[in-house]
This record gives sequence, structure tokens and C-alpha cells, in this order.
Amino acid sequence: MIDVDETFWGARAASVDAIERELSRLRRAAAAHAREHGLALGRTSVLNLVVYAEREAHARRAARTVSDLALRHPCRAIVVLADRDREGVVASVQLHCHVPPAEGAKPVLYEQILARVRGDFDERIASVVIPLLVPDLPVFLWWTGTPPSQARHLDDLVILADRLIVDSADFARPDRTLPDVAHLARHRVGITDLNWGRLTHWRELIAQFYDVPTWRPFLDGITGIRTGFAVDMDGRDIHPSQALLLLGWLASRLGWRKVEALAPSEAGGALFRMARADGAPVMVRLRPRFERGLETGDVSGVRLQAAAGGGTAEFVIKRAPDERHATATAIIDGVVRAERVVPLPPLGMRELLGEELAISGSDHVYENALVALMALA
Amino acid sequence: MTTTTTLTNPLREGLRLTRTPEPACLVIFGASGDLTARKLMPALYNLELQHLLPASFALIGSARRQMTSETFRAELHDAVAEFSRTRPINEEVWATFARSIDYVPTPDDRSYEELRALITRRDTEIGAGGNRLFYLATPPVAYQSIIRAIGAHGLRGQTGWSRVVVEKPYGHDLQSAMELTSVVQEVFREDEVFRIDHYLGKETVQNILVLRFANSIFEPIWTRQYVDHVQITAAESIGIEERAGYYDSVGAMRDIVQNHLLQLLALVGMEPPVAFDDRSVRDEKVKILRALRRISPEEVGVLTVRGQYGPGFIGGEQVHAYRDEHGVANDSQTETFVALKCFIDNWRWEGTPFYVRTGKRLPKRSTEIAIRFRVAPHRIFTREASEGLEPNELVIRIQPDEGISLTFGAKVPVQGLRIRSVNMDFGYGESFMVDAPDSYETLILDALRGDATLFTRRDEVEQQWAFVDPILAGWHEGNQELAIYPAGSWGPKQADDLITRDGRSWRRP
Repeated sequence: MIDVDETFWGARAASVDAIERELSRLRRAAAAHAREHGLALGRTSVLNLVVYAEREAHARRAARTVSDLALRHPCRAIVVLADRDREGVVASVQLHCHVPPAEGAKPVLYEQILARVRGDFDERIASVVIPLLVPDLPVFLWWTGTPPSQARHLDDLVILADRLIVDSADFARPDRTLPDVAHLARHRVGITDLNWGRLTHWRELIAQFYDVPTWRPFLDGITGIRTGFAVDMDGRDIHPSQALLLLGWLASRLGWRKVEALAPSEAGGALFRMARADGAPVMVRLRPRFERGLETGDVSGVRLQAAAGGGTAEFVIKRAPDERHATATAIIDGVVRAERVVPLPPLGMRELLGEELAISGSDHVYENALVALMALA
Repeated sequence: MTTTTTLTNPLREGLRLTRTPEPACLVIFGASGDLTARKLMPALYNLELQHLLPASFALIGSARRQMTSETFRAELHDAVAEFSRTRPINEEVWATFARSIDYVPTPDDRSYEELRALITRRDTEIGAGGNRLFYLATPPVAYQSIIRAIGAHGLRGQTGWSRVVVEKPYGHDLQSAMELTSVVQEVFREDEVFRIDHYLGKETVQNILVLRFANSIFEPIWTRQYVDHVQITAAESIGIEERAGYYDSVGAMRDIVQNHLLQLLALVGMEPPVAFDDRSVRDEKVKILRALRRISPEEVGVLTVRGQYGPGFIGGEQVHAYRDEHGVANDSQTETFVALKCFIDNWRWEGTPFYVRTGKRLPKRSTEIAIRFRVAPHRIFTREASEGLEPNELVIRIQPDEGISLTFGAKVPVQGLRIRSVNMDFGYGESFMVDAPDSYETLILDALRGDATLFTRRDEVEQQWAFVDPILAGWHEGNQELAIYPAGSWGPKQADDLITRDGRSWRRP
């Protein structure tokens, strides 16, 4: 049993009870250490975060993100690392005391537990997690990788959780998995997707066009939409989930229905014909594009074409002058009427997860976008 | 009320997208001044960075000074680069934002015609539909002539909404505040007037309402039965900086107490509003201000203290006396410190004193509200055991280091019984780890959206002056001596006497 990196995850404990004893010993040590430096140590958990991972790399990445967020969302993190190939349950504990350099700030204690479960664990997994949860605090379940379609261990953990966080950027086949995720809402859990968080700025910029009263009628007169998403240089790594979610959002908000999926336009792209609420057609094109500096799957640009009241409009948002900015342009009857550049800061795991942990209810707009996507699948 | 667009935007739904304002022209008067450079422009630029300004927006600056729009943009660029809370300035964003900025000098009445022509042209270009926000960032002497010019030259749009933001000070006594209101109302309805008190834009000030009315455990004990007294402190360690000319004619009472401290007092003392909207919240604040017992000119010797700082030390540095500050007369009678003992005559607070103090050149910068609860009614522990025990106290820290703390008694872990007060501390910054938006960002955005909850209504301002005026009159009649206190102390001895007479003492913030 030396395959756990104890310098990263901390010392091993023999049982679930032993973990609590070990945690309280570490808390006392950290408090004593802080006191030597003239600081008071606060233990301010605001939530339980259960991370499920099947790969150690994912578990480590999650653990690092949580530790980066310890100040903003101090929590008890329980990282479940599942490995079907071995037998037995091994748990190890690590406690971190994060002392921020910022002047006047107070050190905050947060707790991180690694639970390795092995072999045939489907029925056992909840029994490891339940006693480790801090009472009275909400439980967030972060499922790394692709959630399985029907699985006991997923259901058992989702039942414990108030919120389920997935990242559809990691899904192997988002068009199939996203509808599966939508079905999990039956467990009365609020579902969100880190990939949805990546779209917030895009949705904001699109919505703003239609806040202008004279442009608002064009929202009901959309005739076509083109969305570009980034692929790698060989065009092999195709992850259209962001582009699909953006489409699902527009379709659900505006009451569009799918009419037919036309033949894939180009490698990995998609072409749909949809119908607006008033029955008029909308041509939808999702285009893979190679763009330097973007993560695979990131939206690279959106172009909405519309006609209303005898006029035409084109609303364009593209990553310009560079990938950290967006230029939003409104072209009415062929004339540029507004153009502005706004920052489009790159969103790391830390920002995305931090945003999700700040929201405690369900995100109905996301869930509706998923339902709309199910119709497209 | 304001006209609303006929169609809502279905894309706006959901909790992640905040409502951005409708397209509008923002017209700033006093655009070449300090407030515009230090506060308004950095706030507008940061709103643009956060995608919170409307997709089509025009900013028109105006002042007496002659300059071109290019010069104006260049000056604003440098101001933003120096004063923005986010740095360095994002040149890409600035470049397109600057295109929405223009300048028209208004040295005389005739030049307002040019301003009107420009507003009309920009309005059409951006499709603002006549929506206009006028911001008076000039010295108060100019308010009346600008407002009359807005009316006389038809600067309001034919359609859409028009609103005006008026900076403090709003008048210098009740009479002048009412006069200003009557001029404002020649051109604007009361619901179009947004009187700024930037304290109300602070996150923690809004948090007072959340603490009181989003929780069920505090409100039942927020009464005379449980609260012994309330202390409100606004301490500054700085002197008057470059504001001597203004400050010497105003003093701490008009500068801080009349607006900021009375607002804090109202928020702490008010009854629960029926909704969190402009009308309900402000109705309740006015009720408290009305119930605030007036201190007559004859009572100022007992219920008020006024002080002025002498020489002393701040943070190890020697500092001048107020009268030695540049631009202050060497026999100035202006107060830089005020302490008051107030009562609210209503069912909830009958007999509960509210001690209020503010001063310059105090040992540290700190604004806070402390609710001191009564001691436990019956003491079951021995005197020796409970020697280290203080009554429970709830402290709301406004600035710096915003947060809330609660002291309560706990057993010291030794054999036998010893009780000590311990502190449960909630740090706003540590719990959310985000930069709180600047209060001007909050307030400009609210004014553009038409939400007046965090602005002061006419009757509030009038009640505030009605409370302050008799005190100033009493001082003027010589009923309370001006006490000199050393810079770097917590004010004159008389301020301690004001509270120790009642068997209580000031907190050390």
C-alpha cells in the first residue's frame, strides 16, 4: 500500500473514526502553530464538497483547486478516488492550514480527506462518505469525468448532495451524456456544469444586444445562427458541448423546435434546421475552428442574423483583438451601429468552481437548456 | 413611473445574468472636477469591464472649462489609470469605451443649446429612446443654475426617462435643503431625483438590512428589553487634507453626522420594511428619523460634545493642530469632533440611548455600529468566576475590514469555573474573498436602473436637517464650549463624560 503519495495527501488513518481523531489532532497542531506566530486560527467551514474521481490526476487537480479556494469557500473536502481493479478501502487524511499573505487577513483552516475505494465499491461508497460529512452544511458533489448512464454509486452520492457539479468539457460524447445528466434532476439535486459557467460572459453579451429597445424585435426574428468552437490543429479533438449548450439556451429561451439535422457540414461540425415559435425557420451551424490560445471546445465566436419590421440585423461577437477580449458588434441594415471591446478573462478551474460554490439553488435556465438539447440529440 | 419597453428580454432570465440598464445618455456636470476624475470615471470604467453598462451608451461631460472632446478623453484616461481599483488600465477596452465619450463646455447659458444638440444627436445614434441621467458633480453653489438650465433648454428627452443625481451636501440647513428641492422640482419629479449618500452604496451598510431582516434570530432581541444601548462610531485618522476651504465652513456635524451617521442610525433602528424596494425602505427610515428626539439649543450642553483637534501624533508622526492647517483661520470655531446622546421615541427603543460620535485625527480609521446587550438577568456564577465577562455585544464593522462579530461568555478550560468573553468573528472579505464593488459603481448602476432604494428621499433629508439645525443653533448661541483634544486621542474628555455619566463607556474600535 505505498501507492498513495503521502506527501500530497497526508498521513493514513485506519478507519473512518480514526480520521476524525486525526483531524482534530491536526487542527490543534495548526492552531498552536498559528498562535506561535501571533495569529488566531478560524475554522469556518461553509460547505461539504465531495469530489468523485476515477483518475488520480483528476483527484489531484480537484484537490489543488479546492485548496486554492479555501479562503473564499472554506470547506471540508472529501475526495473519493475510485479504482475498480483492487480490493479493500484505504483512507488517508490531510489537513491544510492556508495562511494568506494578504495584510490583515486571517488564516483559515480547511480540511481535506482522501478516501480511496477499490474493487467492487458501488454499494459501499456512500457508507464511507456519510460519516465524514459535517452536519448542517450543504453538500456539493463534484463529479469529475463522464457520469455513467445508470449506476448505483452515482445515484447514492447524488442523493446525499444538494448540488451536483459536472464539467461537460470532459464528456467523451456530450450529445449523449448531457441528456443523461438532465435525468439526474429527478433526485431533486441542483445541477450545474462548469462548461455552463464558461458561457456566462457570452450569454451576457448576447442578451445585452436585446436590451436596446429598438433592437429587441430582432430577437423574435432570428433567421440564422453560427457558432464557432475551438478544436486542436489536426481537428481530431472535437468537443462541441459549449456550442451545444449555447444553442440549447437560445432554443429553450426562445421556444425553438428542431425540424431536422442536416448532414454534418464539415468535420465535427453540425447543421440543423430549427423552427422558431412562430414557425419560421432558423438555420443553425456549429463550426469547429482551429484557434490559437483557446482550450478545445471554447466558443470562438457567435453570429446571429435576424430580420424584423422590414429591416435586417446582424449581431456578432468574436474574440478580438485577441483571445482575452471580445468585440461585440451590432450591424443594423448593413451599418455598424455599435461596437465595443470588453474583457473576456480566461476562466480557470478555480474561478469556475468558485462561482458554482457560491450558488446554492438550482439553475433552471441551465436545466431548461439541457431539456432543449435532449430534443436535438 | 418610468416608461418601460413593451417587450421583455427572455434571455435575461436566470440567476447568473444581472440586469443591465437600458441604453441611456449619461450627462455629467462638473466633468472637469475632482469627483469625476477620482470616483465617477473609475466607477464607469469598472462597470464597463464587468459588462454591466448597456450595449449602447453615451457619456457626455460638461463644465465651464473650454476643452475639446479629445482633451477630455485623454484626461479621463489618465484619471482612470490613476484611480481605478483595477489596474493597469485595459487599453483595448478603453479605446472603444472612449468612443462613447464627448465633451461640451457650458460657460454660459447660451452654450446649453450646444449641449442639447449633442445629447439629441447621440441619443438618436445609440437608440437611447430619450433615456437620460444627469449627474451634478459640481460644487453645490452651481446646482440651482444647472437644474434651471436643464429645464429651460429642454435637455430632458421627449420620450424615455430622465433622472438627476445630486451629490452631497444637499443644502446646509433645513431651509436651504427645502429651497433646493423646490428648484429641483421645477424640472424633475421627486421619483426622478437621486440624492447620493455614498455610505449607502457600501456593501456592509446594505448588509445591515440583510443581517436584521434575512435572519430570524436577531430581530426578536433588537429591542429595548434586550439592548442596553447602541454606539455608532465614524473615526478618521486623517485631518482635512486639501478640503480646508470647504470643511472650515461646514464642520463634522454637517459633513458626517447629518447624512452618514443619521443614515446608519436609521438603518439600525428602523422597523422591518414590508419589501426591499425604494418606497418601503425609505418610508421606514423616515419614521425613525421623525421619532429621533430633537435636542433643543438649551440641551446641547448636556447631550452633545463638540471638539477640535489640537497638535498630536498619528501613527508615530507629529501632526498639526486644526487651526494650524493651511487655509484654516487661527481662531476657527469649526468642530472636527462630535459626540451625541440620542433617543428614539417609539415603542421599540423607548429609553435606549444611541451614542453617536465622529471625529478627525482619531487614532485609527474605523466606522462601526455596536449593539450592547443587557447583562444576564440573574447571575448564577460567582463574582470571581465571571470577572472577565462582558455583556454580549454585536459589532457591525463598516470600514475598513468589513464584518460582524459577536462576543459571548465561555468557560475557560481549566478545573473549576472561570468565564471569559470570547469573540465570534465573521469577516466579510474572508468569507467571500471577492473585492466588494466600489460604492459609486453600485450607486451609478442603481441610478441607471432607476432603483432609488439606496438614495435619500426629500423627507429624509429634511428630517436629518430638522434634527441637526437646533444643535447647531445651540452651539452658535454658545451653549456648548468647543473642546480641544490632542490629535491621536479618542476625542475630548467631555465625550467620555457624556457616556460614563450613564455608567457606560465607549468601545475601543
